[in-house]
Amino acid sequence: MKLKTTLFTRRKFLNGLLAGGLGSFLASLLFPLLRSVIPPYKEPDEVRLPGADFEGLAEGEVRGFAWDIKPGFLRKDAGGGWTAFVGVCTHLDCNVSFLAAEKKYFCACHDGWYDAEGRNIAGPPPAPLRRLSVSVEGAEIVVRKEPPS
Amino acid sequence: MSARGWWPALRRWLDDRLGLEAVLGFLRNKPVPRSGHTIWMYTGSAILIFFAVQVVTGVVLAFYYRPTLEEANASVARIMTDVPLGWVVRSIHSWSATFMIVFVFIHLVSIWILKSYRKPRELTWMTGVLLLFCALFFGFTGYLLPWDDLSLSATKVGTDIPRALPVIGDFFTKLLRGGEDVSGETLSRFFTIHVSILPLALLAVLALHVFLIQKLGMSLPLEAEVNKKRLPHFPFWPNFVFREAVLWLVLFGVLLTAAFFLPPGLGRAADLRAPAPEGIKPEWYFLFLFQTLKIFPAKVWFLKGETLAVLCILAGVLFFFFVPLIDNKPASRKGKILTVVAWLFVVYALAMSAWSLAGPKPAAGAEEGLSAGPRSAGERTGMYVFLAWTWTMIVFLAFVLRGKVREVDKLHAAGFFGAGDDPHRK
Repeated sequence: MKLKTTLFTRRKFLNGLLAGGLGSFLASLLFPLLRSVIPPYKEPDEVRLPGADFEGLAEGEVRGFAWDIKPGFLRKDAGGGWTAFVGVCTHLDCNVSFLAAEKKYFCACHDGWYDAEGRNIAGPPPAPLRRLSVSVEGAEIVVRKEPPS
Repeated sequence: MSARGWWPALRRWLDDRLGLEAVLGFLRNKPVPRSGHTIWMYTGSAILIFFAVQVVTGVVLAFYYRPTLEEANASVARIMTDVPLGWVVRSIHSWSATFMIVFVFIHLVSIWILKSYRKPRELTWMTGVLLLFCALFFGFTGYLLPWDDLSLSATKVGTDIPRALPVIGDFFTKLLRGGEDVSGETLSRFFTIHVSILPLALLAVLALHVFLIQKLGMSLPLEAEVNKKRLPHFPFWPNFVFREAVLWLVLFGVLLTAAFFLPPGLGRAADLRAPAPEGIKPEWYFLFLFQTLKIFPAKVWFLKGETLAVLCILAGVLFFFFVPLIDNKPASRKGKILTVVAWLFVVYALAMSAWSLAGPKPAAGAEEGLSAGPRSAGERTGMYVFLAWTWTMIVFLAFVLRGKVREVDKLHAAGFFGAGDDPHRK
């Protein structure tokens, strides 16, 4: 069936095609730009610490270590095992400190508190501190990314 | 060519090519209404003065500053100790930023309360809000550059805020930081934003803002707008500009005095793995946002507290930007609710800032860094002499300008300028 009037002229169609093509071409130029503005970063799979550095820690005592560019905390557990946390507040990314007297982690930025197990107990933090898995391999203590549960 | 002849000749030559006369003629005929509101019209050019100071001092600082993890803090220390009068330049840059933001806020709140953003000046307001964002972003990026404990923590918090937004937030955080975390990448990125991207963006928006102000003319008080009342007025050039110049001089003197006597110090170089220091604070103009983030609990209903806080702030920002479209009442409506909202905002910001300042202070001795100031008796004496000379000149020039203002006011009253007997070209 042939329509008597047309709602969409050939000119409109071609203009639309041209504008759409030009628009998508310009948008595609953004791709390499947006790709290039974020440099690659890979978190280490593991950090090997000399066991000697952590010898003589009492049970429940905590010592810091470097989890790449972030602070980490390594604690000697009651059974002789180890527990490790990434010392970064889950609220807005500030580095936390461990207050030995109170056995709590504290974030000074917005007054956030975590208990010795890294659980968020007061203030704005929405989640517990991130845990890392720890194993002792010979003379080294190896801290690894905890597999996502 | 005689000494008398070359200037008019040059001027004519330039005018033939640039059309300067048209611009000057426009300024001479641009009427500034005289009413109780005129005083707020001086705030805009005060911002410009401080911005000019920022450009000049910023260029000098950029000659010496090095945006790398290893050298950033040390290069600022060098500016403060080695570079001749470097501490003064840095102090002026820091104080001028503060004064600029103060005047931006005064400018903005006065325009809000006077409802000058109403038709046809909606876009003037919106470009103004964009300029405010530029100014705040200038402050935020500049705060990191000295790379000390406080600035690192403030930047970690500030750049993590977009992440609370769903979908696009994560990308923005990575874009700002140059990766997952604040690192050396962030520093060079903030430097580039501070010295290249923001100046270009600000100048572009500023050009549009100033163009719109010229095109649309100054707003009148509501009563006058409604009754089509003719207000007394005077020409922008020279009557208004001479008055402005007095304010510029005084502000410049206050700026120099503050910069000489209260130079900012420098904290210890930031350590990416050190815990956030007690009592961290952002720049004063972010305190109310900082405190807002503090009071939201971890979870509200089903949302993370920080997501809710950020969404609230974003809603506030959007409301702010679109105020002229929301309050699109005819000029006859006073818009009392929005006036109340503006005052509530002022009270909220002041109260939250005060609360934040009353919070934990940095532990004593934590700020063991570098303090600035004159480094010798000679430099101290020179400082006093320079200030005395500056203030003498300011008082003298203000006196001369007062005479000029009286003269041009008389000329205007006598109709000499013939400036816009029609106060509002619609």
